[in-house]
Parts: sequence; C-alpha cells; structure tokens
Amino acid sequence: MNTSTRQAFNDAPLELATLTPGFADPVHDTQAVFRTLLDTLARPGTIRTLAGVLPDSAATHAARPAAARAAYAALLTLCDFSTPVWLAQHDAQLAAALRFHTGAPLVDAPQRAAFAYLHDAHALPALECFALGADDAPETSATLLIRVDALQGGAPLTLRGPGIEHMQNIAPVGLPERFWRERAELAPLFPCGIDCYFVCGDDVLGLPRTTQVELN
Amino acid sequence: MSDLSAAPASSAPPASAMRRAWMAVLARTPRAELEAALQRALQGAPLPAYDWLRPPETGLAMVRGRVGGTGDAFNLGEATVTRATLRLREPAAAAPVGVACHLGRDRRRAELAAIADALLQLPQQHPQLHAQLIEPLAARIAAAREARRQDTADTRVEFFTMVRGD
Repeated sequence: MNTSTRQAFNDAPLELATLTPGFADPVHDTQAVFRTLLDTLARPGTIRTLAGVLPDSAATHAARPAAARAAYAALLTLCDFSTPVWLAQHDAQLAAALRFHTGAPLVDAPQRAAFAYLHDAHALPALECFALGADDAPETSATLLIRVDALQGGAPLTLRGPGIEHMQNIAPVGLPERFWRERAELAPLFPCGIDCYFVCGDDVLGLPRTTQVELN
Repeated sequence: MSDLSAAPASSAPPASAMRRAWMAVLARTPRAELEAALQRALQGAPLPAYDWLRPPETGLAMVRGRVGGTGDAFNLGEATVTRATLRLREPAAAAPVGVACHLGRDRRRAELAAIADALLQLPQQHPQLHAQLIEPLAARIAAAREARRQDTADTRVEFFTMVRGD
C-alpha cells in the first residue's frame, strides 16, 4: 500500500457492518491486559495468556482479524491516537478495528511506527528499519508484536539479563535465524533498542531490549 | 447561535442527510421520552438483540465556535459527551449499525438512541418508526423552539437613532 492509499484509508469511512468488536469492558480489560504485558516483559521468556478478554466473535457475525488474538488484545490496549502502527502484512479487518477502537494512525514506513505487528515472521524487515529511540529518549523506540507458529517446541535458546535470576529457556518456532543476529547487533546501542513480544493464539512472550540471547 | 437541526451540507447524499436529521432529533430527546416513544413505536415488542461495537462511554469534546458564525474558529469550552455504537444481530446479512453521541452522561439514553438509529435504517421498519418516533419528537422540539422564539420576540427592543436635524 503506498502513502496516498494509506492516507486515504486513515480518512475513509469505516465499514461498521463487519467491524470486529473490541473489549466488552474496555477500562478493566485494558488494565488486565496491560498488567499481563508488563509482567511478561519484566520476566523475559515467561509465557502469559491473554484469554477471556475479547468477546467470542463466533457468537456474532463479525469477521475476525487473521491476527493472533493476543496481538489484537495487545494492540487494543497499547495503541491510541499518538502511537502510529505499522502492519507488515495487509489486514483490512485488523486495520479497521484498530482505527475504530483506538484511533491509532496507520503508517506505511516501519521507522515511523511506535508499534508494529508482523503476521509473518519470515517477512520481517531488518531490525534497523524500526525506530530505535535516542539516547535521551529511548522510549521512542518501536515495540514489535511478532506472530510465531508456536512459543514452545522450537530450537532452544537461553536468555540472561535483568528480570531473570539465572537463566531462562525459550524455544519459539518460526523465527528466522537472522532475527537473533540482528537483535544482538543492537545490544551495544543500549539504552536504545527494540522490545519484542512473540504472540501465538492467546499466548504472549516478552523479550525486552536488555535480554541477552544465546543460541544453543 | 447555530441551528444544529438545520438541513445538512448539500454535498451529503439524501440517505445520510435523512439519517443526520433523525439523529439530531434523537440527540435532543430526554431519556424518559425516548424510552416511552420507542416502546410505543415497537408496540410492546422487546428491543432487538445487538452487540456493542463501542459500549456507552463518557468523555469530553472540545466545542468550537466562530464569532458571528463566520469569524475565526476558537475553542469555546469542553462539553461532556456520551457516545455509543452497536450492531443489531438481525438481519445477519446486512446488520445495521446504530450510532449515538449526546451531550451529558446518560449511558442508557445513548443506548436507546443508538438502537433507534439502527432500527430506522431497516427499510421495513423505517416508515412506521419514523412516523411514531421521530416525527412527534421533532414536532415537540420545533414547538418548544417556536415558543422560546416567541417569548424572546415579545421582549424585543428596537434601537434606532433619530437623525438630528441640522
């Protein structure tokens, strides 16, 4: 999607007849999801579940976004009008729902995004494409939500760093190996860097910029 | 003062102009009247089933004005606004979406107005609902406005300056 069509989409009327509902109780549901997202980033490598917060859209005739439900819940919680979102893969249903429920602008340049959702981890662009923040404002970096095929059962990885007492093992499936290499190259830039969430279905796993990953 | 129920911009297609007109009537109707009128119009049938797209929520909206209606825009102040969006479950093929946005913090009123807005979009329900719900309320609003205009006109003072003869 080029810039003009993306801009046109941000301004176009929404198709409400097939819009996906958001949280049933936005105040408390966003608080619960935010707490979970915070916990999983504070304890890197632990898997948390964001189940039960989104209404079952099978009960309604709304089309469901193809996105992982955990990613949809996280984006509904974290985004607002001041956080540009970049969707790596076109998803009209998710885009319309984000616009309606959060008011977040969609951008088509990854470096302008505060949050990015990557439905296909293999099509992940180089991590330098994203905002890394500045030394005096590291919070302006991007947060990536990457959908993986599974959070367990892949090649084992060892995590060390803040929030981990000794070490933590994870084994996500479906991430390209270059992701870990590019991520390690960003480590010297601390406090700049990129925080990631891996999502799969209702589950989410946090990987902040401070965590060191060893490929076993 | 601008007349909010006046005919909308001419660029809007007729369907959306009509919808804007009935939404303006619903936005000016107190809750008790809205509830009674909706019950009457539905003739005892229960309210239709629906799903929330946006449950009623109260917030602030900046009201902007223009001096004389034509000057530069300025921020008049913030108003408390309650809005709601819902989607009916029937008919499943083309479910109408009802929207309400009202001054004040009455959530139930926003809910009722959004249901009325959705029902008014159904072709088979529209004539009856429009006749029984919107037209009486619109007439009442017009009568209240006319009475107020009359009250104001009664106390009108004409100022003029005598031309001084030289």
